[in-house]
Amino acid sequence: MKVKIKSWTGVATWRWVANDDSCGICRMPFDGCCSDCRLPGDDCPLVWGQCSHCFHIHCIMKWLQSQQLHQQCPMCRQEWKFKE
Amino acid sequence: MIKLFSMKNQKKDGSDVAKQGTQKRASAAQLRITKDINELTLPKTCDTEFPDPDDLLNFKLVICPDEGFYRGGRFVFSFKVGPNYPHEPPKVKCETMVYHPNIDLEGNVCLNILREDWKPVLTINSIVYGLQYLFLEPNPEDPLNKEAAEVLQNNRRLFEQNVVKSMKGGYIGNVYFDRCLK
Repeated sequence: MKVKIKSWTGVATWRWVANDDSCGICRMPFDGCCSDCRLPGDDCPLVWGQCSHCFHIHCIMKWLQSQQLHQQCPMCRQEWKFKE
Repeated sequence: MIKLFSMKNQKKDGSDVAKQGTQKRASAAQLRITKDINELTLPKTCDTEFPDPDDLLNFKLVICPDEGFYRGGRFVFSFKVGPNYPHEPPKVKCETMVYHPNIDLEGNVCLNILREDWKPVLTINSIVYGLQYLFLEPNPEDPLNKEAAEVLQNNRRLFEQNVVKSMKGGYIGNVYFDRCLK
C-alpha cells in the first residue's frame, strides 16, 4: 500500500519541569502564570535558587526587593542565589 | 515553541478583555487569600467568621483553647489582609482583652511570623497555628505585657490564678478584664 500525506498539523504541549506543582509565593500552578501576569510561558518564567527551590520570577523578585538586609529563600531561609 | 503559544494567546486576548469588562479582575492578594481560605484546615478549637462573605480580606478568628492556662476562654482576633499579601503579613489584632505575656492590652500580638519572620510561603493556616500555640505556651522571654510575663516567670501558680480571674471578669492589679469565658 502506498500512502500519500496530503497535509498534517503539528501539535505540541509544554510544561515546566519543576520539583513542585505550584509556586509557594502566589500558589498559582507553575504551568500557569503568577497572579500579576496573564500569559504563562516565556512571559512569566520560573527561576531556581541554588537551594533548588523554584518560584515564578516575578514572585521571587518582588520578595527579594522587599528584603533590605538578607536575601533569603522564602522556603528554607538560606541565602538566595540564582542557579545558573 | 513557547513563543508560538504566547502569540496565539495574545490574539485571543482581545475577546477576553471584552468579556472581563463588566467584572473587575481579582487582585493578586485576593487570588492568594481565596486559596488560603479554601485550604484552611482549622484545629477544632478555632473557627473563622466573615462579617462580609464577599470580603475575604477582612475576617475574624475565634480561638477557644481546650487545654492549658486559657482553657474555657474565648478569644477573637481580627485579620486584615493588605494589597501586598503574601509579601507582607496580614495585620492581626486580638479584640478580646486578655492577660497574656505576648498580647498587650491594646490587642497587639507578639508572634514572630507576624513580623520579622514572615515569609510569603506562609499561609493563614500558619498564623492560626501560631496563635493557638501562644495560648498553649505563653512565652515570658519576649513580652508585650511585662507584668504578666514577670508573674509567669516567677510564680506559675499565681499566673494561672490571674488568668482564671481575668477570664471570669475582674481586676488584675488596676486593670479590668471583661469576662471572656465560653
